[in-house]
Amino acid sequence: MTAHESVSVTPFTVTRIFNAPRDVVWKAWTEREALEEWWGPKGCAIEVETLDASPGGTFHYSMRMPDGQIWWGIFHYEELVKPERIVFVNSFSNDAGEVTRAPFSESWPRQVRNFVTFHDEGGKTRLELRSEPIRATAEECAFFEGMFGSLQQGFGGTFDQLDDYLATQK
Amino acid sequence: MDRLSSTFSALADPTRRAILARLALGETSVNDLAAPFDMSLPAVSKHLKVLEGAGLITRGRNAQWRPCKLEAAPLKEAASWIDFYRKFWEASFDRLDAYLERLQSADATPDKPKPAKRKRRKNDRT
Repeated sequence: MTAHESVSVTPFTVTRIFNAPRDVVWKAWTEREALEEWWGPKGCAIEVETLDASPGGTFHYSMRMPDGQIWWGIFHYEELVKPERIVFVNSFSNDAGEVTRAPFSESWPRQVRNFVTFHDEGGKTRLELRSEPIRATAEECAFFEGMFGSLQQGFGGTFDQLDDYLATQK
Repeated sequence: MDRLSSTFSALADPTRRAILARLALGETSVNDLAAPFDMSLPAVSKHLKVLEGAGLITRGRNAQWRPCKLEAAPLKEAASWIDFYRKFWEASFDRLDAYLERLQSADATPDKPKPAKRKRRKNDRT
């Protein structure tokens, strides 16, 4: 498989307003104790193996999935501009911190770059997250596009009837 | 290619997603399916082949009228993964929200001793 840097993919984006100033939200993104409190998939306890929130540093963690499996993940930090912006590449990994394929699919992009920006909204913080695969193969791009195209165009909205249909197919 | 990969690969195209949404209303002939799209029949057929290859639809055997039918199982599997990812961020941000709330309320009442540091439990994420 060859990598296609040029394949364009619709990025995944999400925005949320937090009722706290930027420096507080920033700390929650960069300190171990805070990350253990909030980061991770629903229903999963995470444990921080290592955290070095600085350019070139990593955040290596394990996730205990609801079925008892342990999944490992890693951030490679590229850019931190306090309290405005964090850029990191997120991957699945093994316990040694080496990047691996996702445990659930061979086509999930191995590396997803995330841009997190913190905007001051009169003492509150508007957080914007943008994610896109990097060095992705055509298969990885198609997977990402299929998943996030469906997510953002929605199986909701114009896809309401699809939701209704799926709901009847127990 | 594993099933999840072929499903998402098929879902990567907005026209194919629209075709699936149409088929959720019921079985349809290729002609009827093509009508709302500004697209030739061969172009629509090509999309249908991809969807059929991914197991997302099946075609009837009748040579004259080969209705397309949505197959729910792979689509449900895909939808549950999409939901997993959406909830991944939503749930994380909900917890971040709650964490910031606790921090701020602890800061706002400096006279009182800080609440004992909350010990994270394995199963408190529901």
